[in-house]
Amino acid sequence: MAKISFRQALNDALRLEMARDPRVIMMGEDLTGGAGGNGVKDAWGGAFGVTRGLLGEFGPERIRDTPISETAFIGAAAGAALTGMRPVAELMFVDFAGVCLDQIVNQIAKFRYMFGGRARTPLVIRATYGAGTRSAAQHTQAFYPIFTHFPGLKVVIPSNPYDAKGLLLQAMRDDDPVIFLENKMLYDTMGEVPDGSYTVPFGEAKVVRDGKDVMIVAIGRMVKIAEEAARKLQADGISACVIDPRTTSPLDEDTLIEFAEEIGRVVIVDEATPRCGMAADISAMLADKCFDSLRAPIKMVTAPHTPVPYAPNLEDLYVPNADAVIKAVKSIIER
Amino acid sequence: MSIEAVTIPKWGMTMTEGIVSDWLVAEGDQVSRGQEIIEVESTKTTNAVESAASGILRRIVVEVGETAPVGALVGVIADASVSDEDIDAFIASFAGANGAEEEADPNAASIRVIDVGNGAVVNVLTLGAESDSNVVLLHGFGGDVSTWLFNQDAFAQQNRVVAVDLPGHGASTPIQGDDVFQSLVGSVERALEVSAPGKLHLVAHSFGGAVAAAIAAHQPDRVASITLIAPVGLSKDINKDFLDDFITAERRKPLKDVLERLLADPSKISNDMIEGTLRFKRLEGVPEALAAIRDTIVDGDGQRHSIGGTLADFSGPVALIWGDKDKIVPLPEASQIPSNAKLSVIESAGHMPQMEASSEVNSIILANISKSL
Repeated sequence: MAKISFRQALNDALRLEMARDPRVIMMGEDLTGGAGGNGVKDAWGGAFGVTRGLLGEFGPERIRDTPISETAFIGAAAGAALTGMRPVAELMFVDFAGVCLDQIVNQIAKFRYMFGGRARTPLVIRATYGAGTRSAAQHTQAFYPIFTHFPGLKVVIPSNPYDAKGLLLQAMRDDDPVIFLENKMLYDTMGEVPDGSYTVPFGEAKVVRDGKDVMIVAIGRMVKIAEEAARKLQADGISACVIDPRTTSPLDEDTLIEFAEEIGRVVIVDEATPRCGMAADISAMLADKCFDSLRAPIKMVTAPHTPVPYAPNLEDLYVPNADAVIKAVKSIIER
Repeated sequence: MSIEAVTIPKWGMTMTEGIVSDWLVAEGDQVSRGQEIIEVESTKTTNAVESAASGILRRIVVEVGETAPVGALVGVIADASVSDEDIDAFIASFAGANGAEEEADPNAASIRVIDVGNGAVVNVLTLGAESDSNVVLLHGFGGDVSTWLFNQDAFAQQNRVVAVDLPGHGASTPIQGDDVFQSLVGSVERALEVSAPGKLHLVAHSFGGAVAAAIAAHQPDRVASITLIAPVGLSKDINKDFLDDFITAERRKPLKDVLERLLADPSKISNDMIEGTLRFKRLEGVPEALAAIRDTIVDGDGQRHSIGGTLADFSGPVALIWGDKDKIVPLPEASQIPSNAKLSVIESAGHMPQMEASSEVNSIILANISKSL
């Protein structure tokens, strides 16, 4: 099986599904890169190179650049989905969701409900998220808790190339709107990925690593951080299990509860800010549903409640790291 | 007795190092051959390593939590008469030998993807030097070459090992068309013509037993010995629900429940096994291919294959290995075992004795192979 990057895994998923289903179309800013200039088409493939090569293969009817107006193209994608297409719209940075939030939360998320179940909105909004790229406070946020808050949206956050491909294929085949969030720091991550099509179901957490002393729940890029922490903890004789929910909506509560009840100690790692975040959400759910099985307080490892700093040394401190996870684990094991 | 090394095993092609996740015995403890003495974790799996010798664990070289390369010395077993100086010398000499071995590694496993016609490929893993004597490993329904992770090295010392992904499994193309079983056997035979010229020692598990019997019936002169582990085809009894549930389980929890039926000790099913199986089953076309193979194995009256006659007619050595706790293909009655077959029943093993009691099973297989020589 070939080892390919997270970026290439996403590109493979888009290519396979566009070839399989003529209803799949794409729109966004700079997807084709330099469109209109001779010989420079496909040069860029989006700000992060994910759509490279697709224009040449599928043509400008199915993959097109839009003006710099998220309000317009997210709205256009919503309309296309309602009329039977399966659009994949790319928000270059999830931070830009502010200017199309009405389209997403009042229109797209509500169509099925408002039209008495008679409308389908098979739409995928791909967006990058996350700190670490020295891009300052307006291009680095982790907005997944916001989308998770709204019923009617599915929220997917892959942590590795295999899941990225399988979850994106599932997203494009889903009849409901899906917010698909890609951490910028993961694009060059390599992993074994099958050549052909496969889907990873939503609402199915992955047991990344087995362990018996503590359960570390982590999302997106934080899964790697949790795995690094688990490896280091093993040297200290602490056996840490790592669970990756993969989708925050739907959330695989069953698996989280199953392991929390079995292990009794829980640390949740979340790159988002702490208030109303996924760490708080999962922590509340577990406290509500399996408090009696817990042997220690649930610990949250999150970014601080501040904007993402531009200063590189502060940005590095801002994102949760393995040492912070290890500290949280030890605080509930050695008590 | 001599001084015996406990080393980091190599499970699969990509494993380069292992973490000692637990020592199950302490320095100074008496250990016996086949006893689980150490747990090793690779990036893919964690498994206990059985002692290859009986004696005293005289020295722990790699402590819990430390990482060491494949083949590295992690412990030393010897009896009480061996002096500490001799053990120190052994450890010192081992370090040198190990370094040299890493340079060449002529026995490294390699993968071959063999074109078997009609656009189909069969994936085989080969191990050991070119040889006229090939140990051919055929896995069961839903498995792949990794079924033999704890066995293949034991056979590679004196033979070439050729482990096959059966069509529709692992990285081999599914069978198209109606005559699924005959086509599947044909594809495997074409792959073996290329990858295993010379004599074949067939070692097969479960459904692979029917494939092995078909090969032996077609090419009796090429097959030198047959060892079957819990094969189909000797009775009508089979747990059909296992096959159905294996195909339909799409998520971790239901699949875990299915896989746990394979072993006598269900806690041995690791999350890596579950994840690996889920990844295989998610591939487009795999559930359909598995259903087609299931229909060759079982119908409303139970098992469809019958291999007793082929085994009875075979002139070379035949060995059968069964776990006494097998919940998938239960041990047949004595009258159903061909009289020329030597049956070994492994205590406290389920349907996967090659994983559950690998040392014992490897010894039985090697003994059966040596009978043909």
